[in-house]
Amino acid sequence: MTHSIGDKLSGFKREITQERVNSYASASGDHNPIHLDAAYAATTQFGTRIAHGMLSLALVTEMLAINFPNTWYSGGNLKVRFSAPVISGETVKIYGEITDITKTNVGLIATCSIGCEKPDGTDAVVGQATVPLE
Amino acid sequence: MTYPLISTATVGHEFGPYDVTISSNTAKIYTKAIGGIESPNYGDSQAPLILVAVALTKLIDELGLFSGGLQTIHAGQEVSWIRPVKIGEKIDARGKLAGNSIRGNNRFATVKVSYNDETGTEVGSSSTTIIVSSEHA
Repeated sequence: MTHSIGDKLSGFKREITQERVNSYASASGDHNPIHLDAAYAATTQFGTRIAHGMLSLALVTEMLAINFPNTWYSGGNLKVRFSAPVISGETVKIYGEITDITKTNVGLIATCSIGCEKPDGTDAVVGQATVPLE
Repeated sequence: MTYPLISTATVGHEFGPYDVTISSNTAKIYTKAIGGIESPNYGDSQAPLILVAVALTKLIDELGLFSGGLQTIHAGQEVSWIRPVKIGEKIDARGKLAGNSIRGNNRFATVKVSYNDETGTEVGSSSTTIIVSSEHA
């Protein structure tokens, strides 16, 4: 597969249901009540249950694995910041774009802008990834 | 009064090693949490981010951020991966406090983690930045 600067990565939309959040808590061991307990979450600054930030980031890495199936997990890097919480029940959009391709002594490296966008258009996760190209 | 570790730990403090080996059952639950029709087929490997998530949970617990009812924000995350990891492959995570300072009304802590296989070879690394309300920490 050839890649060029400006290419949009194949992204997707995903509803972050409470069932997904519950499963994520089981898998990760993170049972913080802000993710799971509606009554507790109602007392927090968010007023409702929010998804784990790492769950949103996991979706972003899914996109990278889809677009770079042979290289993302063999030399990929990412750096993101969590800028807003995803509320349980929201549908997020996972997106990315190749912003640069650099020739290095180990081959071509693509730099991508990446993110997880909330329904209101704000980013829950935003950052950059670098991935070796085949 | 007992202070959480994050209030007293100095830069260089080491965490772990934590066993972050992912069982097939955990991998299935993880797939249920994040998977969709677009998801790649990982075969007998796993999405490495689950290793980072499990290590992060153990770190947060050791830092005392669960037990103290502290107000924390996961502010930033870096991940680098060297090779795929198979489901059930024994992986240890070792952390080191890379930053712990008060700025304004908040405490900023950064923990770097190295993930190693049974031979001690690094398979990935991560860096997590957490913000804690300083009135609590």
